[in-house]
Amino acid sequence: MKIKFLFILTVVLFSISSSFGEVIHVVTTTQDTRSIAELIGGNKVEVFAIASGYQNPHFVDPKPSYITKLSEANLYVTLGLDLESGWSPSLLTSSRNNKIQKGSPGYVDASVGVTLMQVPSSINRAEGDIHVFGNPHYWLDPLNGKVIARNICNGLERISPENKAFFEANLKTFNDQIDSRLKTWNTMMAGFKGSKVIAYHNEWCYFENRFGLQIVDFLEPKPGIPPTPSQLVKIINEVKTNNIKVIITSPYFTSSSSDVVSKQTGAKTLVLATSVGAFDSIKTYYDLFDYNLKLLSGSLK
Amino acid sequence: MVKYMWMLISIISFKAEMRAQVDSTKSDSLLLLEIQNQLGETPVPPPQPQVAASANPNISVIGDMRGLYRSYGTHHFDAVLNEVELSLESTIDPYARANFYYSIGEDAATGTFTSEIEEGYLTTLSLPAHLQLKAGRFKQDVGRINLVHSHALPFIDMPDAYINFFGEEGLKGDGFSLSWLVPNHSFYQELTFEGTSVGENASFERSRMLFLGHLKNFWDLSDNATLELGLTGMNGENQFGRSSNIYSVDLTYKWKPVQFNTYKSVTFQNEIYFNHADLDSIKVNSKGFYSMLSYQLSKRFFLVGRYDYSNTPFSNSYVQQSGSLTLGWYATEFQKIEVGGKYTNINEPVEEFNHEENFEQGYLRWIFIIGSHGAHQY
Repeated sequence: MKIKFLFILTVVLFSISSSFGEVIHVVTTTQDTRSIAELIGGNKVEVFAIASGYQNPHFVDPKPSYITKLSEANLYVTLGLDLESGWSPSLLTSSRNNKIQKGSPGYVDASVGVTLMQVPSSINRAEGDIHVFGNPHYWLDPLNGKVIARNICNGLERISPENKAFFEANLKTFNDQIDSRLKTWNTMMAGFKGSKVIAYHNEWCYFENRFGLQIVDFLEPKPGIPPTPSQLVKIINEVKTNNIKVIITSPYFTSSSSDVVSKQTGAKTLVLATSVGAFDSIKTYYDLFDYNLKLLSGSLK
Repeated sequence: MVKYMWMLISIISFKAEMRAQVDSTKSDSLLLLEIQNQLGETPVPPPQPQVAASANPNISVIGDMRGLYRSYGTHHFDAVLNEVELSLESTIDPYARANFYYSIGEDAATGTFTSEIEEGYLTTLSLPAHLQLKAGRFKQDVGRINLVHSHALPFIDMPDAYINFFGEEGLKGDGFSLSWLVPNHSFYQELTFEGTSVGENASFERSRMLFLGHLKNFWDLSDNATLELGLTGMNGENQFGRSSNIYSVDLTYKWKPVQFNTYKSVTFQNEIYFNHADLDSIKVNSKGFYSMLSYQLSKRFFLVGRYDYSNTPFSNSYVQQSGSLTLGWYATEFQKIEVGGKYTNINEPVEEFNHEENFEQGYLRWIFIIGSHGAHQY
């Protein structure tokens, strides 16, 4: 009886674990890597992203329901560095899925090969939330999108080598799209090179670098520390002195501090999208830059 | 003449060798190019800035400083470094990870320090069939708060029922824990079995193994709301050398808007323990529970209210009830200060509380963390 039960249990488990079929189950930590994975994987993949597009990627709650998704994934894509360090490692440990653990073929660190900015020479938490490996918001430069795409493509080819040509063709299309769109994006920003702006949190350096902005200061006195009255006074003076037109913030920060600065100086607060899905119209990685640059170029005029 | 001939021959042959070398380099690089093409033109990654890599585990030290007030007795105030916890966490190899928590605690009344291995266990990463095995000394999988270290709890004092049934330090033991992620596609289910030699606690003795089963159910009600229902059953030996069973139900509702999850949240958490103890002459059925509501006022402020009701493992006529309120200020993820007040009523006054029926307690707690500390469970 016992043996029969065990046998049935084994069969059930086996059938569950092999019920994936053809499609590759990909779990990504954010919506940006979801979009790129879909563009590269096409109809061969089914992608689930953990963080929402309007969510702060540093502070995602590791809900057990994500463990269920991870336990069945063939590929896990993380933006890496220490962006998701507060929640990704514990979810991976709980997933019981050794195909996607760090070092396994199904683990993709999208940051491999990215030239990092703001790599600290020493770590001191008195400076706020300092990122050990450098600023992790690198997907906000479309050329880094090409590195992410290459890494995802490599991951897909590792677990599905028979579809290599398909993935490579999609990667080429993606790279061509980025190259051609980048020309348009650069044209949109051409008249605003060196424009001084204020940002809420230090998460725009790659975007700033690519599109020629100059972030003068942050509403947060130190990364991760909420804006203080004295910091806002300092910002108001900087905005007035430099004739700054725009304050850029993200969907997951409250607007009270930026509203104060806007009211005092007339500078416009722009809620830019930090990820795909931040706003309904941003469906793909390309849309992310279309949206932000349209908004920004319109406001800097 | 012959000498010149030799020189000429050697020069020619040297030149020829040079050319051959150049040619072979050329063909090598062509071959390399071809290999690269075949490999799918993987771009050479640009040089990376140097980051100090380390094989050391994540190390952190947590300080828990407290100020205590009690209205009963003659000694009303204490200041105590309640606990210093050293934690070391790392993967061992591709197959498992290890967590160690070493704690040094100070007794508020005497000022003497005691140290203990709070937890020390390995967790497998590569078992088949969605199984995971934990081995070592660990906190038992009962209810919601037993698994959480006190510094991460939203209140300062533990619920009365928890203390009366499991003790201040909760239920922990040395042994094995096997959990199975139920392949249920509609909601999260985890089934856990544990067999341990338990540490000192009110309900169970170490003389016989404690067996425990826990089923955790978790639902996403919406993007912003979740519900968890946990069912636990355990069997062990009580201080009379007979069998004790405790069944527990925990129910937690959380609301946390995804977009502003660092600013707003509500948690409604409840846990009840039903105890069936076979004593020498009689059988006792007793119970205890708490109900907690936590409301996040702003990014940094949390207000937590709790109601406690508790019998003891060996008496259902003893009833201890209390209401408490805690206000927490979270400076960063690494520091928080909390103040709390608690009012208690006991129907059968005991020596521990100076035989007083009603009394008040006040708490101040300052938690500070240095180093790299792993994430806590949702």
